[in-house]
Amino acid sequence: MAFPSDTLTNTFKVGLLQGLHDFRAAGNTFNIALYDDTTTMTAGTATYPGTGADGELAASGNYTQGGQALASVDPVWDTTAAICDFADEVFSNATFSAMGALIYDVTASNATVALLDFVTLQTATAGDFTIQFPAAAAATAIIRIA
Amino acid sequence: MLGQSGVPQVGSVTVKTTSHTGLPIEHWADRCLERIIYVAPDSTSIMKDQAEAYRANIRAVLIHYMTQAIKSDRTTLYNLFLKQGHRDMAEILRKL
Repeated sequence: MAFPSDTLTNTFKVGLLQGLHDFRAAGNTFNIALYDDTTTMTAGTATYPGTGADGELAASGNYTQGGQALASVDPVWDTTAAICDFADEVFSNATFSAMGALIYDVTASNATVALLDFVTLQTATAGDFTIQFPAAAAATAIIRIA
Repeated sequence: MLGQSGVPQVGSVTVKTTSHTGLPIEHWADRCLERIIYVAPDSTSIMKDQAEAYRANIRAVLIHYMTQAIKSDRTTLYNLFLKQGHRDMAEILRKL
């Protein structure tokens, strides 16, 4: 089974209108959790499926289930879009493989935000597993509203 | 009517992994630069040239100070290991 393509979840879109998500640096806590390709998550997945559930990596090789907290950068307007950004996230001294990730809002009762597809299986062995977020610009930022 | 405007979109992440080592200083300097300086693809060539020259200067500065920061941290660790009686490990760190 393949990991779902990059997508913002339905819950996130509704959450925007409900004012659930505060992406400012001092705002909500957003976690990124890692998954293998057995996950059945879709854009319709409303909340983080739970510790170790639905294809989340096992708690080994220096991965802690639930993932790691992201460092958010204050949203800004760039040319033609409102954008938000996160600092690159590093899982250090990692020994595991992952096919994709889920960003979810811990502060908003673990509401899902986005599914991120790594396209191919990514493996680190006693090394760094680094998720690099795209340039914070109108055409590329991780989350943008044109 | 909102049309295509107002539609939230998601960008694509990239993943970098290593085996039995960390990522080099140059990698982090480049990532840092991408956060500090963004050159729009539709910038004029003069603007682009200036930005690229500035970027190259900043990159050298970042690499220099990141290297110093790592050396400082190793000094701290060296002394910590030494204080705990792990001279062999301290020496490994010192020789890195």
